[in-house]
Amino acid sequence: MIPALTPELILYATAIGLTTIGLAGVVLSVHLFRMVLSLVIAEAGVNLMLVLAGYRWDAVAPILTSLGEQPAMVDPVPQAMVLTAIVIGVGVQALAVSILIRIRQRYATLDRWEVAERMDADIAATAGTPRDVSQEAPLGERPLPPIPAKRVDPSGSES
Amino acid sequence: MGNLTGLLFAGGLGFMLLAIAGGLDFGAPPMLIGSAIQAQAPAETGATNIVTSVVLGYRAIDTLGELSILFAAAASAGLVLGRRHTSAGTQTEGGFILRTGGGILFPLMMTIGFYIIFHGHLTPGGGFQGGVILAAAFFLPLLARPGAKLHHSTLSLIEGFAGASFILVGLLALAEGKAFLQPLLIQDTLGQLFSAGTLPLLYLAVGLKVGAELASLLSRLAQTEASQ
Amino acid sequence: MNGALALTIALPLLGAFLLPVLMRVSVAFGVWIGPAILAYGCWILGDLWLTGSMQPFSVALGGFAPPLGINLYADTLALLFALAAQLLGLIFWPFKLDQDSARRQALMLLLVAASTGLALSGDLFNLYVFYELTAVATFGLVAASGTSAAYAATIRYLILSGIGSVLTLFGIALIYGQTGTLNLAHLAQLAPEQLSNELGLAAFLSLLIGIGVKAELFPVNTWVPEVYATASSRLSAFLAGLVSKLALLIILRLLLLVFHQPEAAQVILILGILGVVSGELAAWRAKEMRRMLAFSSIGQLGVLFIAMALPDGQGMLAVLALALHHLVIKSGLFMLADGWGGALQRLRGSAAASPLAAGLFVLFSLSLVGMPPLPGFWAKFTLITELAGQTEPLYLMGLTVFLLATVVEAAYLFRVAAIIYQSAPQERRPDEIPKAGGLSLATAGLFGAGLIATTLLIAPVGDRLQTIAAQAQDVDLYINTVFPATPGASQ
Repeated sequence: MIPALTPELILYATAIGLTTIGLAGVVLSVHLFRMVLSLVIAEAGVNLMLVLAGYRWDAVAPILTSLGEQPAMVDPVPQAMVLTAIVIGVGVQALAVSILIRIRQRYATLDRWEVAERMDADIAATAGTPRDVSQEAPLGERPLPPIPAKRVDPSGSES
Repeated sequence: MGNLTGLLFAGGLGFMLLAIAGGLDFGAPPMLIGSAIQAQAPAETGATNIVTSVVLGYRAIDTLGELSILFAAAASAGLVLGRRHTSAGTQTEGGFILRTGGGILFPLMMTIGFYIIFHGHLTPGGGFQGGVILAAAFFLPLLARPGAKLHHSTLSLIEGFAGASFILVGLLALAEGKAFLQPLLIQDTLGQLFSAGTLPLLYLAVGLKVGAELASLLSRLAQTEASQ
Repeated sequence: MNGALALTIALPLLGAFLLPVLMRVSVAFGVWIGPAILAYGCWILGDLWLTGSMQPFSVALGGFAPPLGINLYADTLALLFALAAQLLGLIFWPFKLDQDSARRQALMLLLVAASTGLALSGDLFNLYVFYELTAVATFGLVAASGTSAAYAATIRYLILSGIGSVLTLFGIALIYGQTGTLNLAHLAQLAPEQLSNELGLAAFLSLLIGIGVKAELFPVNTWVPEVYATASSRLSAFLAGLVSKLALLIILRLLLLVFHQPEAAQVILILGILGVVSGELAAWRAKEMRRMLAFSSIGQLGVLFIAMALPDGQGMLAVLALALHHLVIKSGLFMLADGWGGALQRLRGSAAASPLAAGLFVLFSLSLVGMPPLPGFWAKFTLITELAGQTEPLYLMGLTVFLLATVVEAAYLFRVAAIIYQSAPQERRPDEIPKAGGLSLATAGLFGAGLIATTLLIAPVGDRLQTIAAQAQDVDLYINTVFPATPGASQ
């Protein structure tokens, strides 16, 4: 039973598809920057979903063009919400990228599991405990490969 | 194997969500508060762009929160990336077209940016859109001449006072015995530039704040990138 | 006077915007701005709390009556948590002065403002905005410690919280597409007809997982041990003590007002049980103080979710009592961990070095486990009686898990207490024994004093909590407060 391919279905499928692709990307990626990009995709999907929540076929943008009788207008509230959500997304992404720059300078990698391992090692070293085996990669006590001597950037190692 | 499971899971999730969202009445939303706002907004806020009256009137506190989020992100990025910037000697200067074009475009972009901000209550556009154009205008010279520096102290001054004036306009309403962030000075001249009372002022604050915030974020990222 | 409520959000934001500029002009002046604003906020809220008629009221922001505009809803519960946000912000104020202090203090002001907003706001999307503000300010403050591990923990938290906000927005889109409104009171009116279906359930699940990230809900709490181990103790105390409770409060409000499906409560109950099991067992295995506290906090939040799942808000009193109790205890314990961080084995002999801290630790542990007559006992007792009164097997399973978790909790807390009271090993010099002292010990002492005061005044405090819970439970009161004249006809 395949439903008819209406514009309605296409738009909803796009919104939900983008959200799903983004979320799947976050879960499946091993590179931290790709995870952030996947989040951007997912956010685009939900923003489309929000706009759709107030959309009408027979209506114009909610701006008065003349006094007197008005044509039907789309719901202005979701548009305002999307504006807010987009700006919030931009702020979070910029912050994410700046943290990623620092991590890359310190750990010389952006691989998700390697960063997690090094973080666990760092936390354990600060606390002075034997390292807990990582929850996500229970492969026993893997010795960490040494950070390559030739760093990607010599200048930004410490701020 | 793990990837396959993940993909199957994601696909199933997508289908489930689609099935659920199919229950929504598309193209004919309930518009419970939407139509009420459409009916009342021109009289209550004096703006012909109803999205503007939602952003700066009905949901002004959301906008304030969103400005705070941008501010928090910029401040956090500042904390993370630090203050000291090594000079960007390694990056090559932009080509002739970029440098000359940047010089020509800068005043034009400033004009357009401010135009969009000031007409936010009349036409599509407003503080966010205009602010982004302003930020781009300031970022362009940075692309053309990587050595150029933005004045971070000036930017943070604009950041601070633009955000503060948004709140102060809101507090002014409170001081007059009205509610916090209530629009003031509404005149009965719908469609004119000076029609929406304090809304254009709020949008000016939003535009300056967004512009300064984004410019400082971008230049910070660019300068750290340059130091690599 | 009620209009001044908006000031408790607006003034911290104003202070945060201006702080970096003012600090450049005069540091000596700038350092007092934040505490002064928060103290004023405490004064406003305390005044409303003491002189008000204890009747809930609603403030329409921008003068636009809800549901068109956004309103702040202040019942005694919301006021209590808003007051707690400002007060804890003052207690955990980042006093440290260095070149970054302006930014750090600005972020702290933003965090407090957002927390206050979370407690007071009566609009779904507005809650989302404040929720994101809390998140971004937290990222900045965690990353501010500047270690590599802190950056890694922040980015992992940021990505998880990004998933959360995507889901939250999705849930909001579903709700708005179905009902056409965002105001919680308005939604409460429309929910029985429009949201008691699969769509409503899906929206609830999206919101639950999305907001659950901050509430340390079971599957989305992997950030908790990492962030609490890398952030400063003061920040961890604020996050574990207050922010998690606020996220929980939002879920509770949504459950009470909008989503009445039995499935919703069951999902919360199951996730709560899983949270208790995973949290307490991980805490038992932990070899480090802060990690132990972080996992134990996951377990405690799981208990709160179990209490929340009781039908028709019967668990309201238990949720309230447990949440406030955990707020005090966890804040105190994290302050002790400030001096006692690191491996548990290093703590041997520290009772002799700082007897007051050891005494406080034992006091907090006893109350957390639920030793009468400490307040923890009464909080847990309320939950046990409510759970035992249920007939459904899932609730009884929750009760069993809860009782077993208490035993595990006692095991790991008293193990630490035993280590503390052991004599120091011979080979260690006295200055190697970690000492808890200074400001953090004083703060922990403050929480300990509060706990003892509550123990002495348990009867009036209990009565007061009962009125608060009854008021928060009353859906009709909520709706009638937001739409005073014409209930039901709010278009």
